[in-house]
Amino acid sequence: MLYLQLLIDGVVSGCAIGIVSISFSYFYATTGIFHVAHAGIYTLSGYLAWWMVGLGTPFAAALALAILAAVVVGYLTQRLLYRPLEESGATPLVLMIASIGLLTVLQNVVAILFSPNIVQFDLPWRLSHTAIGPIALSLPQAILGVLSLLLFAGLVLFSHHTAAGKRIRAVASNRELAEITRLDPKRVFAQVLAISSGIVAVPGVLVGVDQALQPYTSLLVLLTAVVAMIAGGIGSLTGAFGMSIVLAVIQSLSVAVMPGRWSVAAVFGTFILFILLRPEGLIRSRFSRAI
Amino acid sequence: MNYFLSFVILAEIFSILAVSTNLLMGIIGIFSVAQAAIMGVGAYTTAILMMAGTPFPLAMLAAVAVCAAINVLSSLPALRLAGDYFIITSFGTQLVATAVFINWQDLTGGASGLSGIPVVEIAGAGFPTAREFIVLSSLCLILVAAGFWLLMRSPYGRLLHAIRENEVAVVAAGRRVLRAKVGVSAVSGACAGIAGALYATYISFIDPMSFDIHVSVLVVTMLVVGGARTLAGSIIGPFLLMAIAQLLAVVDIPSTIVGPARQLIYGVILIAFMLWRPQGIAGKRL
Repeated sequence: MLYLQLLIDGVVSGCAIGIVSISFSYFYATTGIFHVAHAGIYTLSGYLAWWMVGLGTPFAAALALAILAAVVVGYLTQRLLYRPLEESGATPLVLMIASIGLLTVLQNVVAILFSPNIVQFDLPWRLSHTAIGPIALSLPQAILGVLSLLLFAGLVLFSHHTAAGKRIRAVASNRELAEITRLDPKRVFAQVLAISSGIVAVPGVLVGVDQALQPYTSLLVLLTAVVAMIAGGIGSLTGAFGMSIVLAVIQSLSVAVMPGRWSVAAVFGTFILFILLRPEGLIRSRFSRAI
Repeated sequence: MNYFLSFVILAEIFSILAVSTNLLMGIIGIFSVAQAAIMGVGAYTTAILMMAGTPFPLAMLAAVAVCAAINVLSSLPALRLAGDYFIITSFGTQLVATAVFINWQDLTGGASGLSGIPVVEIAGAGFPTAREFIVLSSLCLILVAAGFWLLMRSPYGRLLHAIRENEVAVVAAGRRVLRAKVGVSAVSGACAGIAGALYATYISFIDPMSFDIHVSVLVVTMLVVGGARTLAGSIIGPFLLMAIAQLLAVVDIPSTIVGPARQLIYGVILIAFMLWRPQGIAGKRL
């Protein structure tokens, strides 16, 4: 029964990582920018919601406002940082170093404005459990799981069945062609980063409710998500989401055979095996971005 | 006076680490955000050996060898696979190293670290305080800098520049790119090992926090501010950023905010340089 519980816990945290993974992947596959600062937006939205709940805002409103704030920050990041850099002919390395700079800024702004210590949401319902047979599921876990699946399905539908989603995929697959057919890649990039940032705010807040908030841990979440993205095949949202769940389950189950503190090593060990054996990912990507 | 000497010694140690990062990022174009972890391996190796009674020169030599080997191992994926995969392996190396420093308690002392690392003694001469130690650290920096300067002006250095500019052309010209890259990774690791050995013996206390991801990012910032690819850049950057940290210590702000405030300033500097002067103060375009 312990294994079943670990499995379920793994699936739920895999859903959260999966959302981080698809939102990162969505921007990365479109622009090729390694947006490390995504982790900073994750942290920022969690703390914003925590701060608003502390002021007495109802949780749903706090979540919505945190998402809105993330959308704004994401949009501004593209407009004020990545776009000027790309216009000045910066290499991917320079873009990524700038992104690391932004991550550092966001994390420390959070640490200074709110708290450098671990904080927990002051919500009585976060500890209530529902038992399904022998498995215990906390309320935040249940909300997280359901919202993650909805977001995943929503993003896939948006990407394939709406005009805006198709425009984004067109820009992703051929930027030059998009430029001459007046799809305006620069505007599309800002939209994509706004969407991605809004999506990543959801696990940013809900994982914080379920566990706790800490300014500097989000990078590990992002890296696990990126590992899942690469293993799932870049550009494949389903691959990224599925691999996130697989990775999180491995991480969760590994607690049964070795001390939990070594689980980081387990994830990255799995990853290194993966790149050695199957560099193109589990599901071969249709995107031919050089990686 | 001692305060100033201590600042110079630390800046010199970070200059050596910046040279190590420069070899990877500036010279052959392999992104690395794990140099603090490699330096940490050097520091722990030196500390453990010296606490077991090994003399400093031998311990340092061992640290250099271990770091060179680990740096080659950790950059092996980048040598074979281009681009973004290595970003992840590099971050991954850093995270795994920190996890090992914290969790391998029998060897590293866990989160509380190792304290009471013996004072350096070479052929009867001791280096107990900053006044003596500065001779040792300056000597090491001069050696590393001279090595870097000579390497860049050798035919081997020209080969390395050519690899970064156009790898395919170098392969077509019949040069062994992989061997050259492995060589540079080893030299880069060796530099990090020297920095680690000096750090451990000067501070006489090390813990996992001294070599975490923030330190790696700081080294990247130092390199970018000073300017990648040049020797001057690897020295200007560390001295400048360490000076900023010292100035901040003088300003009156709450002690809980000092760490984040310093990090925040580093982040802003990093973004500003990328936007307006990506080549740094004395470097060439990345």
